[in-house]
Amino acid sequence: MIKNAFDRFRRSPAFAGFILFLVALVLNAVLQGPASFFTVKSINTLFAKNAPFIIVTVAQSLLLIAGTMDISCGVQVALVNVVIIMAGQTLGLPFIVCCILGVGVAVLASLACWICCSVFRLPALLASYALTYIIKGINVMIMDVPQGKVDKVFYKAYDSQILGFIPVSALFIVGVLIIWLYVRHNRFGTHIYAVGANPRNAFAAGISPMKVQLKAFVLKGIFIGVAGICITLMIASGNPLQAEDYGIRSLSACILGGLGFGGWGNVACAVFGSGFYVLIQNSVYYFFSLLVKLIPGFAVTSYWQNFVSDIIIFLGLLMTIVTAKGQRQALKEGIVRQFRRSDRHYDEPTAAKKGGDGNE
Amino acid sequence: MFELRAIEKRFDAVVALNGAHLHVEPGEIRALLGSNGSGKSTMIKVLAGLVNPNKGEILIDGEPVEIHSGQDSRRLGIATAFQDLSLVPTMSVRDNILLGNEPCNKFGIVDRKAGDDLIDALLARFHIDCDPNAYVQTLTPSTQTMLEVAKAVSLKPRLLLLDEVTAALHYDEIEVLFSVMRELKEEGVAMIYVTHRMNEVFQVCDTTTIMRSGETVTEGKMSDFTLDDIVYYMTGQRPEKGDGTAAHGHFHAEDKTPLLDVKNLSIFPRVRDLSLRAYQGEIIGIGGLQGQGQSEFIRALLGAEPFQEGTIEYDGRSVAFKSPAQAVKGGMGFISGERNREAMFPLRTIEENILAGKVAKGNLFAYMTPKSNHAFANDAVEKYSIKIGELGHPASSLSGGNQQKLVVARWIAMQPKLLLLDDPTKGVDIHSRQEIHKILRQCADEGMTVIISSSESEELLSISDRIYVFYEGCVSAMLSGDKKTPEMLVAAMMGMTGGSQTSEEGVQS
Repeated sequence: MIKNAFDRFRRSPAFAGFILFLVALVLNAVLQGPASFFTVKSINTLFAKNAPFIIVTVAQSLLLIAGTMDISCGVQVALVNVVIIMAGQTLGLPFIVCCILGVGVAVLASLACWICCSVFRLPALLASYALTYIIKGINVMIMDVPQGKVDKVFYKAYDSQILGFIPVSALFIVGVLIIWLYVRHNRFGTHIYAVGANPRNAFAAGISPMKVQLKAFVLKGIFIGVAGICITLMIASGNPLQAEDYGIRSLSACILGGLGFGGWGNVACAVFGSGFYVLIQNSVYYFFSLLVKLIPGFAVTSYWQNFVSDIIIFLGLLMTIVTAKGQRQALKEGIVRQFRRSDRHYDEPTAAKKGGDGNE
Repeated sequence: MFELRAIEKRFDAVVALNGAHLHVEPGEIRALLGSNGSGKSTMIKVLAGLVNPNKGEILIDGEPVEIHSGQDSRRLGIATAFQDLSLVPTMSVRDNILLGNEPCNKFGIVDRKAGDDLIDALLARFHIDCDPNAYVQTLTPSTQTMLEVAKAVSLKPRLLLLDEVTAALHYDEIEVLFSVMRELKEEGVAMIYVTHRMNEVFQVCDTTTIMRSGETVTEGKMSDFTLDDIVYYMTGQRPEKGDGTAAHGHFHAEDKTPLLDVKNLSIFPRVRDLSLRAYQGEIIGIGGLQGQGQSEFIRALLGAEPFQEGTIEYDGRSVAFKSPAQAVKGGMGFISGERNREAMFPLRTIEENILAGKVAKGNLFAYMTPKSNHAFANDAVEKYSIKIGELGHPASSLSGGNQQKLVVARWIAMQPKLLLLDDPTKGVDIHSRQEIHKILRQCADEGMTVIISSSESEELLSISDRIYVFYEGCVSAMLSGDKKTPEMLVAAMMGMTGGSQTSEEGVQS
């Protein structure tokens, strides 16, 4: 039973991402020192700092499965942040109402992208890239310079733990995953894969690809809204020009986790992919502080850290090409074998038709 | 009762259906027959909601209905098993069968238990041996086809459309399919069955409708037709009495060495064992139903697709080109019917399009003067009477026929030894088609060898010296001289020749 489940997991698209994640986890624990890594404080910081990014990646994975994408995810997160802060500051609305407003705005931004990609059928990459600049402009129009604040109660709560060890920030991620789990198990959960993999066949099966993508974009908007709330609580103020790189980074995290373009992969890919991303950056930070301790007089700027972690992530991306190629090869060989086997069946009647000349 | 009346469908200049009609009663299995391009598949697609007809009406139980999408079609109780399959390869068998029809509980969650029971019963009914969790892309083509049919049947339709589903099936699977069809017939399901295998038609169908060039030619009870009648209605000519086996005409240049000599070529998965010879100055036609390995064969010659077994001897040496660029250097030319995908640069100018081939052959940094380019392009345009506005206009400004002439001109200007054409006149009007034929004949007379694959019988018969007919990845017949008749061709296309090997050996001996 357990062996069976493991076997299924081994063949699932998320497996490569899981291995990458595991490697990054071990690397991080070793470099940081297990004693300091496995503390409530360190885990809490990890979740609190990265919850927005992980949620954005989950949202992006939803679109990738549906055969589309949205590079403007990142600035949409900033948009939510800006709306929440300014609604509180200028309209004097309570924080919770501002958050709901933020989610609504994120859904609207998502719908704009849906209209470009699914209705007008513009290439998703280009359309959402162009949208990045439009939304960025709107952000700055709403809030020209970083400003504003959030009540202490809220951002303190975000940074705290329930029962002394469960980070509240992690609960946001869990919440998003529960929504996803529900969605995965209703009809939409299968239709999204069909539409992503082959819109024409999905249409022939009585599914409307445009409607399915609409639902995917709305859901993605809600997720982005949640990510926006997280980032607001994290920085406890507003900044119109933050998180822009989340868009492209979430895309690479999805690919790292094993998602393909259109109908291949699942949400675990997004979780492992973003986990790998986060842990590698963390590891590299500790690696450099280790160097500083070991080598007297060693000092570099933080650009070097980014450089090293980006190179590792790039290598990870290259890895996915290799593993994907291996999978394809294995698949093709499997089919050839089946084909050859069935070919024998096939030849018998043909030979018989020819009058069975000397076959018996 | 289901009825289609006076259906018309045009794709730009091409008329796919021209006042076709069809009707089928509950508990009836109707064969829909016709040669390539007669509009059978389009009729099926009209009922399936994938093609919206320009004119005509669809009646169910005497009531006119509108079918605009797959959803409409399903709602009216119509299920379709498509020739090119509607399965999603990256999804599991379970998800594919239930797609669009998942049983749900009251919270909107898909009820796995109910789905599993349904699938187990269905797989057992069709004797399909596979894991419901397996991805469809890991299954053999024949299993995939059985799943396609099973999926359609699982919808419990009132009208079941089967579009050439047996083409990929094995004999035992066909038996299973037929027994299921007979069961459904007892249950009162109406069925429309499209196939090219005549023996199956007589085995399982009650009635038939025969189509030719988008029109319904005749219909009636199966028992009122003989095989000869069917071929007559499909081609418009009576087949001569004979055993139907393709004999072989000996080509006049037996003693000459062939320019191209292909032996026992196999290309996974479509081509199994192909041998073919072409001599200098000859036009070789390649016929067959769609997807019998014609495109793969041509692409393998060109080096665009690798082949697994067999040898290709070209121009006196054994070759296996690794890329089309090498093949072009070796004196081959290639014209594809997929103009937009494989041959044209639609946004570039007409002049550049004509020059593209010449440029590919010359040195990378060879200097080309605008004047000589202009003259070259002008010559080509005049010689092949391509109707253009100006040389500087984009190639997309031309009509389909002129675009294709442009591509032909590009290659012929390079004087290849061997010119390969893959369905070059697809979607080309009759006039341009004749002109292209004239150009090809002229080139052959000047010593060029031409291999042309076409899905249209008339085209093959009118232009080629010899026709190789492909059937399931083998040569089913080689037709030349007085054997080159429409009836022989249609018969060979459906594999109705006993000696696929003998004809080929005859040529080679």
